[in-house]
Amino acid sequence: MNRPVRWSALVGVLVIFTVLLLAETVVVKIQTTNLRNEPKFYSQTIASLTAGSSLEKLSSQDGWFKVRTAAGVVGWIHSSAVETKKFNLLAVDKSMKTQASAGEVALAAKGFNKQVEENYKAKHGEADFAAVDRMLQLKISPSDVEAFLRKGKLGEFGGGK
Amino acid sequence: MKAPKYWLIAAVACVFGAGLTGCSVVQQGAKVLTDTGKLSEKDRDSIIKTSEALRSTFSEITEQEEYYIGRAVAALILSRYKVYDNGGMTNYVNVLGKAVSYSSDRPETYGGYHFLILDSDEVNALAAPGGFVFVTKGLVKQCKDEEMLASILAHEIGHVSAKHGLASIKKSRLVDAFKILGKEATTRYGPKELAELTGIFENVLGDIVESLVEKGYDRKYEYEADQLGVKFASRTGYDPNGLTRFLKTMVGGASGASGKGWFRTHPTAEDRIGKVDSSIRTMAMVPKTLPVRTERFAQSVKGLKP
Repeated sequence: MNRPVRWSALVGVLVIFTVLLLAETVVVKIQTTNLRNEPKFYSQTIASLTAGSSLEKLSSQDGWFKVRTAAGVVGWIHSSAVETKKFNLLAVDKSMKTQASAGEVALAAKGFNKQVEENYKAKHGEADFAAVDRMLQLKISPSDVEAFLRKGKLGEFGGGK
Repeated sequence: MKAPKYWLIAAVACVFGAGLTGCSVVQQGAKVLTDTGKLSEKDRDSIIKTSEALRSTFSEITEQEEYYIGRAVAALILSRYKVYDNGGMTNYVNVLGKAVSYSSDRPETYGGYHFLILDSDEVNALAAPGGFVFVTKGLVKQCKDEEMLASILAHEIGHVSAKHGLASIKKSRLVDAFKILGKEATTRYGPKELAELTGIFENVLGDIVESLVEKGYDRKYEYEADQLGVKFASRTGYDPNGLTRFLKTMVGGASGASGKGWFRTHPTAEDRIGKVDSSIRTMAMVPKTLPVRTERFAQSVKGLKP
């Protein structure tokens, strides 16, 4: 009696972990990023992505993921821009169908958000958020970085990797 | 009679899986198992306790929260220092910093990496969570070539990448915050929750600013950032000896390096040089300093040199 029960429990646990390992959906966790033609930042952009976009992970290489968007576009995204979609173990239970996955919760504007910043700013006039906003306006295009690397014999144009 | 044991195994597997799944899932799961009589209330409580403990570490802070914490820390840094207004030099530091960030372990952050030069003769560099990096005019002046500046930016990117700012937040703050946050995603808080969260936010910023600006990071974080700096700079193609050469200019508090952050506190430049040197010695291939970059550096910062 005991033996089959033990085996079925073991198989059950293995199935759970296999399913977890096969959960190949990743979600963009940063404000904006691009899907690229090749696994490097200055390769051609083929789609723009924003926080919360779900992507199907196809393969990985040197910290980059090859993914497919909902629209079917295939390209590369750096692994630091996404989180692996949390698989809801008990989603099969009907009462939990509506529960947001941990990943979705993490992506919602919870915790320290714009509203908390506004409230903090109202009390702390000395904190210079206007200067921070100007700092965020400093944008460097990947092609400028590419030219910089090339001229300085850096990265793939020199001794780096 | 034996069956509950297997449910316990499954429940423990769920807790183990909390790294992969959400804690609220674990809690809901424990509740379901208890409701169906497959798990005792005592076991359920201990499982829920474990999953909550997993929530109260700094690594549970989301990318977006890190961004808002970083913005406020940067705003406080910018209330203490004036920005050095030089578009060309600022652009140079940003391209250089971005290039190094591409070869880091964390090239993408919620708001991206941004770099500013502070109008101060103090020799200092600071990085707020999420990628707001500052170097003083005094520090840029102290650099003799691009490798030195690249190594310092790589060290700061190391702090961001390893989330040292967030790690310096006292654990009690996060326990307080997670208590309020609960499990539901909310976009607007009511006045009471907002006041409480803002209070915690103030304390969180206090912890980080104390480490970053006043006392300096813990010794182990400085060493780790040096190691990461060596790694990121050399991956980009820079000679990582830029860091040792820079540190050597600071030995014994020479050149008025009584600044904050980088040099005021322990570890001393001498301690850091020893550790950096030995990690460079283990590298299979060490990139060389190239004159083309040294010339570019001299050209880019010439406004600072007398």
